[in-house]
Amino acid sequence: MSELQSSLLLKKQLAELNKNPVEGFSAGLIDENDIFRWEVLIIGPPDTLYEGGFFKAHLYFPKEYPLRPPRMKFVTEIWHPNIEKNGDVCISILHEPGDDKWGYEKASERWLPVHTVETILISVISMLADPNDESPANVDAAKEWRESYPEFKRKVARCVRKSQEECS
Amino acid sequence: MGNCLKINNSDDISLLQGGEISNTQDFAPDQNDPAPIYSELLQPIFFPSPSVRRPVSHLTEEEQVKIAKRIGLIQHLPIGTYDGSKKSRECVICMIDFCVDEAVRYLPCMHIYHVHCIDDWLMRSLTCPSCMEPVDAALLTSYETT
Ligand SMILES: [Zn+2]
Ligand SMILES: [Zn+2]
Repeated sequence: MSELQSSLLLKKQLAELNKNPVEGFSAGLIDENDIFRWEVLIIGPPDTLYEGGFFKAHLYFPKEYPLRPPRMKFVTEIWHPNIEKNGDVCISILHEPGDDKWGYEKASERWLPVHTVETILISVISMLADPNDESPANVDAAKEWRESYPEFKRKVARCVRKSQEECS
Repeated sequence: MGNCLKINNSDDISLLQGGEISNTQDFAPDQNDPAPIYSELLQPIFFPSPSVRRPVSHLTEEEQVKIAKRIGLIQHLPIGTYDGSKKSRECVICMIDFCVDEAVRYLPCMHIYHVHCIDDWLMRSLTCPSCMEPVDAALLTSYETT
């Protein structure tokens, strides 16, 4: 997969998303001359604690895309068990491909070259609605989510409010 | 899209090449290495497990065996030419439509891909990108247990 092919593939996805927007997020480039760095705006999914929020995130694609996954980072502050405090998203489909020795994650749960910006964002949106506390990236958020849910809710509500202020 | 653009694929892993055949893929030697050896710059890069990329000379013996078996397995997967079948019109890795008579590789699950697209992928993960079927579960378990 050459860099030219990777950029063609990403351009195709951008054109497709502009033509047929997907509910729940909007996508564009951080810098219109760099197809490998995207900016997306995720709308907090309805009927979740994140409802009403507007969360901005960046996707950084490697030159080997789609053989390797992009990195995803929330720019808007967000409190969630599977998102590090610095915004880095930690979900298995964004993990480097292959079978690890320990059998911790099966190859089929990791990155696959059929993932697109759309499928990645759909996974991230469903992660917002349904955190996975088996391997939390934000241990404090995971602990609160399990043990002191009212405090967790309060922190998420604060992020949602802040995101609305930043967006208006 | 019917786009039959032939792209010169400079970072093709060149499965069948041995270590000493020149390959333009660059590799920055580890800082800890005492003396960078020129031949290392010309070696293909391999991916023995997730997040690990190494040139041939840096592979452990176990990784060499694993990769040799993997290359052998990939070479045994049949190559055919695209017959214009409507069932699979595009290669889901690069999202480019197949051209009639273009070389495609068949996986055991009968999903097809451009040879260079799927070979690069299988060197990283022996999983069909479309159905997530392990490409050869039997072979995989036999070398994982040895
Ligand atoms: Zn292809
Ligand atoms: Zn398949």
